[in-house]
Amino acid sequence: MKILHTDVLVIGGGLAGLRTAIGARRRGLDVSILSLVPPKRSHSAAAQGGMQASLANAVKGYGDNEDVHFADTVRGSDWGADQDVVRMFVHMAPKAVRELAHWGVPWNRVQGGKHNVIINGQPVTLEESEAAHGLITARNFGGTAKWRTCYVADGTGHSMLYNVSDQAIAANIPVLERTEAMALIHDGQRCYGAIVRNLMTGELFAHTANATCIATGGFGRIYRISTNAVINEGMGAAIALETGVATLGNMEAVQFHPTGIFPAGILVTEGCRGDGGLLLDGDGHRFMPDYEPEKAELASRDVVARHMEYHIKQGKGARSRFGEHLWLDIRLLGEQHINHKLREVKEICQYFLGINPVHELIPVRPAQHYSMGGIRTDAHGQSPQLQGLFACGEAACWDMHGFNRLGGNSVAETVVAGMIVGESIADYCLSEAGQGMIDTALVKRFLQQEQDALDGICKSKGTEKASELIKQMQTLMTDYVGIYRDGTNLQTAVSELKSLLERSERVGLQSSAPGVNPELVMAYRLPRMLKLALCVAQGALNRTESRGAHTRLDYPQRDDSQWLKRTLASWPLGASSPTLNYEPIDIMKMELPPGWRGYGKKDFIPHPDADTRQQQVDAIHRKTQNRFERQQALLPFHHLLPEKFHQNNARFQENSEGESP
Amino acid sequence: MTQDSKQRIPVNESEPNSRQLTFEIFRFNPLDPGSEPHFDTFTLEETAGMTLFIALNLIREEQDPSLQFDFVCRAGICGSCAMLINGRPDLACRTLTQALPSTIRLAPLPVFELIGDLSVNTGKWMHGMSERLQTWVHTETEPDLDAMEAAMEPALAEQIYELERCIECGCCVAGCGTAVMREAFVGAVGLNKMARFRLDPRDERDDGAFYELIGHDDGIFGCMSLMGCQDVCPKALPLQTQLAFLRRKMAFAGI
Amino acid sequence: MSSIPSNSRWPARLDLLQSASGLALALFMWVHMFLVSSILISNDAMYAVAKLFEGYYVFGRSYPWLVSAAAAAILVLIMLHAALALRKFPQSTRQYQLFLGHKNRMHHPDTTLWWWQVVTGFLLFFLAPMHLFGMFSQPDQIGPYASSYRVYSTHWPLYLILLFAVELHGAIGLYRLAIKWLSFPTMPVPVMRKRLSLLKWGMSAFFIILGLCTLLAYYRLGSTLQDQPGERYHPVTQSQCPTNSEVLS
Ligand SMILES: Cc1cc2nc3c(=O)[nH]c(=O)nc-3n(C[C@H](O)[C@H](O)[C@H](O)COP(=O)(O)OP(=O)(O)OC[C@H]3O[C@@H](n4cnc5c(N)ncnc54)[C@H](O)[C@@H]3O)c2cc1C
Ligand code: HEM
Ligand code: HEM
Ligand code: SF4
Ligand code: F3S
Ligand code: FES
Repeated sequence: MKILHTDVLVIGGGLAGLRTAIGARRRGLDVSILSLVPPKRSHSAAAQGGMQASLANAVKGYGDNEDVHFADTVRGSDWGADQDVVRMFVHMAPKAVRELAHWGVPWNRVQGGKHNVIINGQPVTLEESEAAHGLITARNFGGTAKWRTCYVADGTGHSMLYNVSDQAIAANIPVLERTEAMALIHDGQRCYGAIVRNLMTGELFAHTANATCIATGGFGRIYRISTNAVINEGMGAAIALETGVATLGNMEAVQFHPTGIFPAGILVTEGCRGDGGLLLDGDGHRFMPDYEPEKAELASRDVVARHMEYHIKQGKGARSRFGEHLWLDIRLLGEQHINHKLREVKEICQYFLGINPVHELIPVRPAQHYSMGGIRTDAHGQSPQLQGLFACGEAACWDMHGFNRLGGNSVAETVVAGMIVGESIADYCLSEAGQGMIDTALVKRFLQQEQDALDGICKSKGTEKASELIKQMQTLMTDYVGIYRDGTNLQTAVSELKSLLERSERVGLQSSAPGVNPELVMAYRLPRMLKLALCVAQGALNRTESRGAHTRLDYPQRDDSQWLKRTLASWPLGASSPTLNYEPIDIMKMELPPGWRGYGKKDFIPHPDADTRQQQVDAIHRKTQNRFERQQALLPFHHLLPEKFHQNNARFQENSEGESP
Repeated sequence: MTQDSKQRIPVNESEPNSRQLTFEIFRFNPLDPGSEPHFDTFTLEETAGMTLFIALNLIREEQDPSLQFDFVCRAGICGSCAMLINGRPDLACRTLTQALPSTIRLAPLPVFELIGDLSVNTGKWMHGMSERLQTWVHTETEPDLDAMEAAMEPALAEQIYELERCIECGCCVAGCGTAVMREAFVGAVGLNKMARFRLDPRDERDDGAFYELIGHDDGIFGCMSLMGCQDVCPKALPLQTQLAFLRRKMAFAGI
Repeated sequence: MSSIPSNSRWPARLDLLQSASGLALALFMWVHMFLVSSILISNDAMYAVAKLFEGYYVFGRSYPWLVSAAAAAILVLIMLHAALALRKFPQSTRQYQLFLGHKNRMHHPDTTLWWWQVVTGFLLFFLAPMHLFGMFSQPDQIGPYASSYRVYSTHWPLYLILLFAVELHGAIGLYRLAIKWLSFPTMPVPVMRKRLSLLKWGMSAFFIILGLCTLLAYYRLGSTLQDQPGERYHPVTQSQCPTNSEVLS
């Protein structure tokens, strides 16, 4: 029996995992990282747009600060977020950007003087302050009151991941590349590491640790059409679920993006429509005005995505071997415009579709994009159920996104959470609770269990094909648990997924190649993906309201009176479906009580205490002098942060009272 | 919509002149004592918009479940899927079959350790290179995260990013005759990284320090200017410019 | 940089020397080709050039050992260059196989050109010393007749191979030098490469054509000298150039 041991085991080599590992390493701990792929290949590299942090250096960012970022994020979440955590996050984001700058990320900078931009289709001249020349600049993003998204051209995630990964190499943190965590070792109370599998040799071994952190990213691949990487199968969340103890939060909160190219699902920017591109159906008919006479293609993301899916369900999609889709027509923009303003789009079209969008239509369909849900943690990143188990990044439900995350808040979350969780882990490992012997018998039992499970699959005479079942699951999820949800479809999805889960026990293999055996990999991941899918479907079925990205046709209103709470899914050992519990979100602690988001439908069922809390908040606003004091009175959060991060953030043009012109 | 635009819509279903593609794929499983390196032939009907990502997955699903290959982002950005496509290194995920002849020969990248079939361990090679060349910003100062960041010229930031766009796909290494012959050569990827850090004012190393890392025949002086790297780099990085620049600086530092 | 120990400075120096020796040789070969092709102008011109190198116009009389010295110097330069370049040759059968496999897979022009540089370099390694040894040992045997006779009777195959080898090798070498050392910040790399490559082929073609014409001229002249081996050339305009016998006497 091979056992490796380090103080800390970080599962996941994306931005979140790497930053956490660096934090713990700098506190003197022995850390190792597991990753399915070399860290720099993690899907964090795909983030193009940018990272939100309220630096307020660019002229369109003036006046921005933590408070504005906080309000945007909470509204974006449709009040599903944990406001403590959002506070911690917005306070840390500027520090994270500055740390990354120090580590080498070449953030785009403010160019002092005049420059031309297009806002709302109109050319506008902005004048940047000469005093801000060379400071980190920001661009505009959806759902934000200020230009707050720091960026590195269109490769923000790439730059961040490369520099953070290089820092991890500098810190001499070993990464076990192409190694998969297969199960968590635990005794029902505490987590002791994981059983892992080498994806080059097929070898199974144990990696024990005093603290284990899951940072395995999203689970987009339970959907057929997703902007996610093919490795985003949610295995981290799944193995946490399979402990039977740890819970997954808000799994039904899944974000979709209107224009993924079809069938690949690779993102093409919203700018195509912003600049005047049209959506056509299978008959070449421009259908959006039928649904949204005023805004047509330029209605908000979720609205457009919803109508697109609806139109396809009406049988109006175009058909191809890979299924149905719609067309994006940017031919009318002309060659000049496309070559200059939509270069990336043109390249994607050329490489992936072999078409020139100057002359041809782009096949698109809304695609799954982000998972707000994940392993439920407390504000320190630790699982409330399983000691010694931490989670961060997209894999976690730390919960700063609630039911809808804002663009640019996600890569920001990864590094911010990494900075915080790395410290929590170190604190834990250095505390009494984090010490103690690991029971070898327990480790042996888990290793044996995994080995038996794999042997079972290899020896199985079953006739089901994993690749076939995965396809069916993905189709079910995209068709029935997509953008558009209703009780009947969700019910179908749940029962079909359950039957797929049963069938998954009868999967047999055709090849018995030694080593990694891709067929075997698919076979053992299948039931885990199905369990996640069931958590999503069941959670969506039970949640009889519409909130953020979760849209129920049969319950179109946000219902604060019933649903101001977080879904917690667990999977008791041996069960055939998840158990759902609910964790209330305390409205009386909210700094920003629920109301209208400022966009979308104005129609919601208010919480009975909403007015009371609003009055309290208003009273505090009146009583307090500056924003720091006010914030402290409303929602103190510093005690949740490591001491070294308590200081206020310096800001261009802002005084010590937190005021800016 | 007009009749005209209707006609322009391509019909993906069973195109009349769809080709039969023949894939010759390198096969070898180093862990299987019975396995010998050879090429297997698969045939597949071409569909519109078919990439090698789609084709290889179809082959695995329908014809041979043991076929090994690597894809992660399938969007041309993560650098996982580089392989020899008809002899040249390129990213498989963004290669459309329609850009290729009907016989497509796929082989793993040379130089890198073979994991099996088309899968090679570029990660290990890149990690080793990073450790050897110390490819990170070297600085003695601890940042003050609460204070304003140091200013940087906007143009310089963009220049650094231009070099940072490398995705460590390994194409430039597999496309380099020097690297193919000499195992220890750091390749254009390593040298480009050095140029990136040399450009970065946050990195406090001087030319003497860089010389120690690349001023030898496995470093910049090992490059024979074969330009394979420049011609296969899927991100079209200005590798020639950087290699020449480094050679001048390092030669000057060395004499 | 003072922090670099002197023993590790050598890679930089050797790389510079390799390039410098190549550059010097390539430039020498151009000059050489123009000089040798003086036969195309007239026998007298060629004669004058030969005399020039024997120092006649400086010292008022000919010293053929000057030619020997030049040949020796060039030989040393070639040996230096070859020794440096040899470091870059594939070092084992395995490396040969790896490189050839790579070249044949890639169908990549610059990689293939490097292979031609190795092949031509290898040829030069043997053929250049032969020619140089001839020039070194019989420096007085240079002139319109002596040279033509040599070309016609024995040397034309050597020169033919040498011509192609050296003009390809030299032009490719200069192209490589440009790629190796120069950046053209305002021009995209592919554009710059395309232009340099055109220039390179142009240079090779020009000097090969010039060389072939020259060789033909020597050959035809040589064929008329068939019956008079050892016949010395006497310039038509005696006043300008003394005869060899005059000089030697
Ligand atoms: C196309 C696209 C564009 C985006 N653009 C933006 C943007 O502009 N701004 C923004 O803020 N957000 C953006 N996002 C979201 C953001 O990129 C991600 O949410 C974030 O990068 C996730 O980081 P992570 O570290 O949590 O996970 P990842 O980067 O996905 O890393 C997961 C890691 O876990 C490892 N892993 C997984 N399972 C296992 C296992 N079982 N065992 C061992 N290791 C495992 C993987 O190998 C990987 O290293 C975008 C997302 C997509 C898909
Ligand atoms: C004995 C004969 C010769 C041999 C074996 C030889 C070999 C080589 C080789 C292998 C290279 C490539 C080196 C590299 O890529 O780094 C080279 C480069 C070069 N050679 Fe030669 N060569 C010889 C003679 C000559 C001659 C006679 C000339 C003049 C025309 C010449 C000019 C050059 C030039 C200009 C270069 C480029 C230098 C560089 O890349 O640094 N060589 N030689
Ligand atoms: C100082 C050194 C050299 C001298 C004095 C010299 C002289 C000559 C002379 C006189 C000729 C005319 C033919 C003859 O007389 O045989 C000749 C021809 C030639 N030499 Fe040299 N040479 C020198 C070096 C070289 C070198 C280094 C090379 C190449 C590696 C070279 C390549 C040739 C070729 C190819 C020809 C034939 C030209 C033609 O007619 O196409 N020479 N040389
Ligand atoms: S330099 Fe280009 S070819 Fe080389 S690893 Fe980077 S992206 Fe790939
Ligand atoms: S191909 Fe190789 S030899 Fe140099 S120019 Fe590129 S690294
Ligand atoms: S799979 Fe990421 S580049 Fe091809």
